[in-house]
Amino acid sequence: MNSIQGRLTFTIGALCCALWCVGSVAVYLAVWAGLVSQFDLALKTDIQALANMTEQSEAGLKFDSSGEFMPKFQREDHPDYFQLWETDGSTLYRSSSLNGDRDLPQRMGTLAAPRFWNVILPDGQNGRAAGIRFVPKEDEDTPRINGTLPLDKEVTLVAAFHRAELDQRLSYLAFVLLSVGAVLAAAAAVVVRAVVRHGLLPLSALADRAQRIDASSLQLRFPFDKMPAELLPIVLRLNNLLSRIENSFTRERRFSADVAHELRTPIAELRTLAEVALKWPEEINEATLKEALAIALQMESIATGLLALARCENGLVSLHPEKIGLDALVREVYQPLEARARAKQIAVSLEVPKDACWFTDRTILRSIFTNLVSNALDHTPSGGAIKARIEKNQTGERFVILNSSNGLAPEDMPHMFERFWQKDAARSSSDHCGLGLSLARAYAQSLDMKLDATLNHAEVVFTLSTGRR
Amino acid sequence: MRLLLIEDSARLQASIGRGLRKAGYAVDISGDGEEGLWLAESNEYDTIILDLMLPKLDGLTVLRSLREKQNGSHVLILTAKVTVENRVNGLQAGADDYLIKPFAFEELLARVQALCRRSYQRKNPRIEFHGLEIDTAARVVLRRGRTIELTPREFMLLEYLAQRRGQVVSRAEIEAHLYSDTAELMSNTVDSAICILRKKIGRAENDPLIQTRRGMGYIIENGPA
Repeated sequence: MNSIQGRLTFTIGALCCALWCVGSVAVYLAVWAGLVSQFDLALKTDIQALANMTEQSEAGLKFDSSGEFMPKFQREDHPDYFQLWETDGSTLYRSSSLNGDRDLPQRMGTLAAPRFWNVILPDGQNGRAAGIRFVPKEDEDTPRINGTLPLDKEVTLVAAFHRAELDQRLSYLAFVLLSVGAVLAAAAAVVVRAVVRHGLLPLSALADRAQRIDASSLQLRFPFDKMPAELLPIVLRLNNLLSRIENSFTRERRFSADVAHELRTPIAELRTLAEVALKWPEEINEATLKEALAIALQMESIATGLLALARCENGLVSLHPEKIGLDALVREVYQPLEARARAKQIAVSLEVPKDACWFTDRTILRSIFTNLVSNALDHTPSGGAIKARIEKNQTGERFVILNSSNGLAPEDMPHMFERFWQKDAARSSSDHCGLGLSLARAYAQSLDMKLDATLNHAEVVFTLSTGRR
Repeated sequence: MRLLLIEDSARLQASIGRGLRKAGYAVDISGDGEEGLWLAESNEYDTIILDLMLPKLDGLTVLRSLREKQNGSHVLILTAKVTVENRVNGLQAGADDYLIKPFAFEELLARVQALCRRSYQRKNPRIEFHGLEIDTAARVVLRRGRTIELTPREFMLLEYLAQRRGQVVSRAEIEAHLYSDTAELMSNTVDSAICILRKKIGRAENDPLIQTRRGMGYIIENGPA
């Protein structure tokens, strides 16, 4: 049984039945003890009455069988029995129901506390017996001779009575308890099942909802407004997980579409170039081949960027930390790009202190700087400005590069580091494939640094912070 | 036939433009949506080849603007967007055809030809009249079973006049449909082209297939196959 509902139903049902059984047995035993005690009390009264009918005198022992008490020992149907013995074991008197020769078993207590036990009666019925040994009272009608010793002969008296009525009551009680138990067990099976099912309804609703969620419906969420407190943390956690999976799926879908788009366009360019050249071979010249080469190089750049990203994200970049002077590195990176800055009349100011040093991997830090400076040069409008500087705060040092914005809006900032993202949806520039900043961030993470971008009025600010954690 | 190519990739502009021109089409090229829309509204094109992801104004917006202004040019969407949803959106916005990048240039050419034929309410690629047979798909002209050698532009000129036979076609219309760059036009360019075409087709001088209507233009009269 591998369901919570089944297990709970079975366990609670079994516990209810067990409790009922224990309760029933306790009630039965209590009632039994009460009834037997009552029966024994009656027995005690009867045996004391019989003892009272036994007398002794100097002439000997005698039993007065003439009392109105005797008929129950004389009736034809289910008579009771008693027998009196003298000390030597000879029978002094036996009730007529013993038919003159049958004996009762002997066990004995005192007159105040008779001995009781169950017995099979001479007629084969169940009975209960009481036995006493006592000294019969003196016969008041036979005067004693003065000076003689007191009469102290002991006799044994056993009386046995039918207990059919007692047994009938106890049987009836057992029947009632068992019947009620059976009905309650059946009712418990139904009620417990219904109660458990009702109690588990929120869980069933949760399972039902979960079954309806697949890759195509990740926007669905688990409702939590009427969720029990026990399930609420699970639901909140699942919703959080779903959000993250949905974001992940969306990002992956967009990435796949972007990769397809980024590769489709150069492939289309190359294919058309080749097909047109083949159809009209007289048109093939050096420019055609240069175009083909440029397209191949663009595709290579996309493939290289994607590979580098994959290596970074899979932790396959090996680091060789060393002490690096930041000013020298920034100038080294900027030097080959200076001509581009001059061509666009961009004012570049590198304000990195000469003594600023970081202990990290030179090659990867150089790649990050190259991407940031190159990105700034590409996207700063003509006549704009680029500044690079080092800032210090409590958590560490930050390399900051600011450049004039080229129409970026605050809502663009979260997308800046997405693969293939470009402000212009047409991605009309074949010089960029939109991987540079993604790669720079992945590199920063591999160096345990953090790369962020913010928009400060008309300036885009890229911040590379040490002490990421 | 005059085509407009609105495509942001400079390389595709060059390759497709070169190929279509070599095939005899007059091709205007634009690199962004705004300029493309302006060109499409300012000129009459038989077919517009339209990319979807364009700077300034995206392709779907260009298409919707054209259709809202009742522009009837046939539009072929040429894009890297591959999903069914993209295609449905494009066709529902008023496109006549949809081709996904990368594509075979021959397929693009065939689709452009089919759309141009549709401009003249014709589905059959063969035009037959006065013993002349023009196969617009195979780009072949036969006269009484004999092939006539024509340059792509001569073929286009004959096809254009044949598509509009029974109508007088002005020089300006011929220039607009067959010449992409007005700089290459001189005052007698069309007349010279008609003259050469008449010689190649070969009919009696007093009964030319392509007749001149002075001050109005040229006409091919309707006639039996």
